[in-house]
Amino acid sequence: MTPFERLLPARAGKIPTHLILLLAGALWIWFSRVTPQDALAGSVAPRPGFQAPDFDLPDSQGVQISLSALRGQAVIINLWASWCPPCRQEMPALQKVYRDYHEQGLEILAVNATSQDNIQAAIEFSTELGLTFPILIDTDGRVSRLYQLQSLPTTYFLGRDGSIQEVIVGGPMAEALLRVRIERLLGQAAP
Amino acid sequence: MMPVLQVGPVALPLPPLLVLVGIWLGLILAERHVAHFGLNADQLFNLVLIGMISGLVGARLAYVIRYPQAFAGSPLDVFSRNLGLFDPLIGAVIGVLAAVIYAQRRHFPLLSTLDALTPGLAVFTFALALSHLASGDAFGAPSNLPWSLELWGIRRHPAQIYDAVGAALILGYLWPGRKFLGEMRPGGYFLSFITLTSAARLILEGFRGDSALLPGGLRAAQVIAWLIFGICLYAIDRIKSQPKLE
Repeated sequence: MTPFERLLPARAGKIPTHLILLLAGALWIWFSRVTPQDALAGSVAPRPGFQAPDFDLPDSQGVQISLSALRGQAVIINLWASWCPPCRQEMPALQKVYRDYHEQGLEILAVNATSQDNIQAAIEFSTELGLTFPILIDTDGRVSRLYQLQSLPTTYFLGRDGSIQEVIVGGPMAEALLRVRIERLLGQAAP
Repeated sequence: MMPVLQVGPVALPLPPLLVLVGIWLGLILAERHVAHFGLNADQLFNLVLIGMISGLVGARLAYVIRYPQAFAGSPLDVFSRNLGLFDPLIGAVIGVLAAVIYAQRRHFPLLSTLDALTPGLAVFTFALALSHLASGDAFGAPSNLPWSLELWGIRRHPAQIYDAVGAALILGYLWPGRKFLGEMRPGGYFLSFITLTSAARLILEGFRGDSALLPGGLRAAQVIAWLIFGICLYAIDRIKSQPKLE
């Protein structure tokens, strides 16, 4: 008899033991269920399931843009730098989906990690690609810290209720991936 | 949390890397002990390779079939490296089916084959827990216990560490070559692993902060683990009641 089998008693007593184990399991399931007070709703963190941390930053034209003002829209926050090859590679796909879905309620905030980039190079790059979504200038790295940025690019997909649905670290993201995520976000009901 | 491993100018995504290393180490361990189960290392390697390749191709094809309109404008994205363009559930089903078909065509004994794969599965489970630790997924529920960790402004159970410790204990208990494992009937080794793993999931899922929920706040993974645990207890009885094959 193996040590594992010894955990269970002889055949005559097995069914009660099994029932006791299953009953204990069922009780634990009930005891550890998630109550509304335990739910993540309302908590703020740069993680899926949480509300996205709010920020406001100037765009490349100097217009101040606040994340909380976009509540009700599907939002993609893309943290990038002009020297980062995968960031550059995924920008055309972001521009394409922005063109296709902006009218339906999609907003893209391309937050340039300006504290680790050259602002002039970033603006030149966005002009060269004809990017029409806002390029936000994070001069002091405040948003990078707020979102605990570990790698460029990092992209956050936010639902209409301002909650983070998915985080993609690294890139470049394929256009197909963006389209599937955006369709899903836009399909959600507004809060 | 360390989602990216920076090696010079190259940023490697650590969580999938840990999973790949887990598969590789698991396969090495399983191959070293495969002879006890009447198979050889090549047979086991081919079985795993066919399962993995079929699973990957199946997962991508399933995703493309599910969202054809997303690929219409960029058909080359079918070959993208993006991990988000896979359907993992369908991929797992297709991978297992392909491995089963291969095993049947090669006349592998089913129960002994499952036993031979068990050390690899145990290592993989441990690697998966480490990959969650690196990615920050599978994080813990709020807690005030002395060993809870500060995460996103609140103290939480170190749920990924619980998972890693649980998987390590199961791996240690079922480490191949131990004397009592040789006394088990065919399928008993695999069944022991599934029983212990489902019991661990049933217990440890209760400390998670990100569980998928069923109505009433019940955690889906716990309910599934509980059902599997019950089936395993029944199967252990059945196996023990059968005469042992010499």
